[in-house]
Amino acid sequence: MTRARRDPRAERAAAALPGAARARFDLFARCAGGRPRRDPRMEAAAQRVDGAARLRLDRAQTGRPAAAPAPSRAEPAAPPAPKTIVMAAPAFLVAVVPDLAAGRLSPHDRQLFGAARTLAGADGGVIALAGAEGAELGPAGADRTARLAGPEGYAPDARAAAIASTMAALNLRHVIFPETPDGGDLARRVAVLAGEPLFADVEMVSAAALMRPAQGRRVEQRAAPARLITLAADAVAPYAGAPREARDEPLEPSAAPASAILAAERIPADPARTPLALADFVVSAGNGVTDLETFRAVAAALGGTPGASRVLCDAGLMPREAQVGASGTVLSATCYLALGIAGAPQHLQGVAGCEHVVAVNTDLHAAMIERAGLAIVQDAQVVMPALIEELARERGAFA
Amino acid sequence: MKVAVLLSAGRHPVSGRGALPRLEAQAIRLAAALGSARGLHAGPDADVVAEALGRGLSQIDHVALAAGADPVPALAAVLRAAAPDVVLAGRRGQGGDDTGLVPYALARALGATVIPDVVAARPGSEPGVIEVEQALPKGAARRVVARLPVVLTVHPAAPEPSAFAFGQARRGRIERLDVAAPAEPAAAAIAVAEKSYRPRPKMMRGAPAGGSAADRLKAATGGGEAAQANVMVSPEPREAARAILAYLRQIGVLAPPPGAG
Ligand SMILES: Cc1cc2nc3c(=O)[nH]c(=O)nc-3n(C[C@H](O)[C@H](O)[C@H](O)COP(=O)(O)OP(=O)(O)OC[C@H]3O[C@@H](n4cnc5c(N)ncnc54)[C@H](O)[C@@H]3O)c2cc1C
Repeated sequence: MTRARRDPRAERAAAALPGAARARFDLFARCAGGRPRRDPRMEAAAQRVDGAARLRLDRAQTGRPAAAPAPSRAEPAAPPAPKTIVMAAPAFLVAVVPDLAAGRLSPHDRQLFGAARTLAGADGGVIALAGAEGAELGPAGADRTARLAGPEGYAPDARAAAIASTMAALNLRHVIFPETPDGGDLARRVAVLAGEPLFADVEMVSAAALMRPAQGRRVEQRAAPARLITLAADAVAPYAGAPREARDEPLEPSAAPASAILAAERIPADPARTPLALADFVVSAGNGVTDLETFRAVAAALGGTPGASRVLCDAGLMPREAQVGASGTVLSATCYLALGIAGAPQHLQGVAGCEHVVAVNTDLHAAMIERAGLAIVQDAQVVMPALIEELARERGAFA
Repeated sequence: MKVAVLLSAGRHPVSGRGALPRLEAQAIRLAAALGSARGLHAGPDADVVAEALGRGLSQIDHVALAAGADPVPALAAVLRAAAPDVVLAGRRGQGGDDTGLVPYALARALGATVIPDVVAARPGSEPGVIEVEQALPKGAARRVVARLPVVLTVHPAAPEPSAFAFGQARRGRIERLDVAAPAEPAAAAIAVAEKSYRPRPKMMRGAPAGGSAADRLKAATGGGEAAQANVMVSPEPREAARAILAYLRQIGVLAPPPGAG
């Protein structure tokens, strides 16, 4: 009721542009004080996901143009093979010490290269200090590689001494370790050996600063990048650029310190007693398995830790500790063998970290079949005895 | 065997109140199997570690230190005088700086060997030797025989801590030691700026930037890479079994058949 009366004449006079022979008005000037005008067309253009065959908009992107166009996975034409980046004379080196468990780079190891690349910037080089040969270091983001010579077997002190001497010899600006049992142990040994402070369990990496939690995750500490760093898992994206050359950097062998470790013997895991979360190979039964005796025999014969879907655990056919999935155990196994499991989203969440999945199911359209690297559309009740028979036959052929 | 258990003023991971860290309670249990054990705490106040008395220690030595001071020189001085064969510690503090460096720095000061992630320890077959079992990822273990002295850090898979006993806690003594810590060259500290912790979303493995919700669900449930899956429709059971065994061997989770190399 009491809104101020508009005076169109005065508004028009205020918007008049001076100096023109003919009367001209800037009618947009009127809204200068208020909210900026939206341009829906430009916003939509900024939300466009590049490369998709049909128009796709990423609504999470508001207004600003997308920083980096999302890589398209639907694109049928393969991009030209990326050229190897060669760094002839890096200004300085940032070292990465991957765990290389079983000789392969884990996802955590790859994230180290992402962090190292951030710290190296445009003129620094990334060097991988590995105990074993690794063909995948170049694609993972290493400009240089160096073999750490050391005695065979369990000799962490010798490895730490080799890294500390490399640190001095190559004048490494940063050395990045994974915060894993092995990598974290090595980092701390190097820190006390070299007398350098360690910035442990880093959760955020930028060229200017690192962040780590402290005091039981109640505070976060921020500091300029330290020389020795351990990186938490899943905090930094892995290196995603073109492969790098991974040229070999010769190292002088350093004398290994005398060790007080007299003997070390590795004891392989007992699959029947390993907790599910730690197991390397899980053999799992779902509602499609009726013959649980045979299932247990299969798990034992294959050397896998037995697991189950929720249906079997709810029915009391398998113990609750065996349940795989969102409300059970989230696996970190290398391989998952699913017998008669449909692959509900809650179940698949538990399997997300598994590298390889084998599924046996009567339903060709089950989600588990879609997820699997090897899918067998067949009755689990006939495949299980066949597996046992086949293993027995192999043993029999040898005996 | 003389055993020292390092006790830290920890905080409970959920409530944030002062509490004995679980790993140190487990360390006390491991220590009991090795010989006579004493606790050792360096810090402004020993009340926070008094719980350790109820967990099986009969005596705790307390070195008074200013809050926030580096405990390593003082601990090293005490341990050098007491010369224990085995020092047991948690993996990492919870409530202080939490770098996990103290056991390593002490081992260097004492000339001892660090063996991390221990789940069991017993005296070796000959004097001056200890046999420990280390937990490795994926449920494996390593049995290590080492010469004394050693510093052991405890793994969460070690035996459960023994139950808290009130009478024992009343009987136990906390003895205050006065140590003039030698001015050892402290490791150069990093200048840090602190503020309260803000949880950040963890990076999602394999989720495409700017993808649709369906893409993100696929990444969360681990689909995606299996587009070129090898599907066998209604194979003979035997054929299926052979295919499964060959696949398991190819990825290395199943031992090769006996006789094949
Ligand atoms: C809040 C919530 C949380 C949950 N959390 C979990 C969880 O953590 N873990 C979990 O597993 N589930 C969980 N569930 C349950 C989940 O939604 C599914 O109900 C469950 O995973 C289905 O188990 P299934 O695949 O064994 O059984 P079904 O869905 O009955 O599937 C059986 C499959 O076996 C196949 N089949 C049948 N007969 C044979 C045969 N003779 N040979 C071979 N294949 C055969 C069928 O084709 C079918 O694909 C949860 C559900 C909810 C609501």
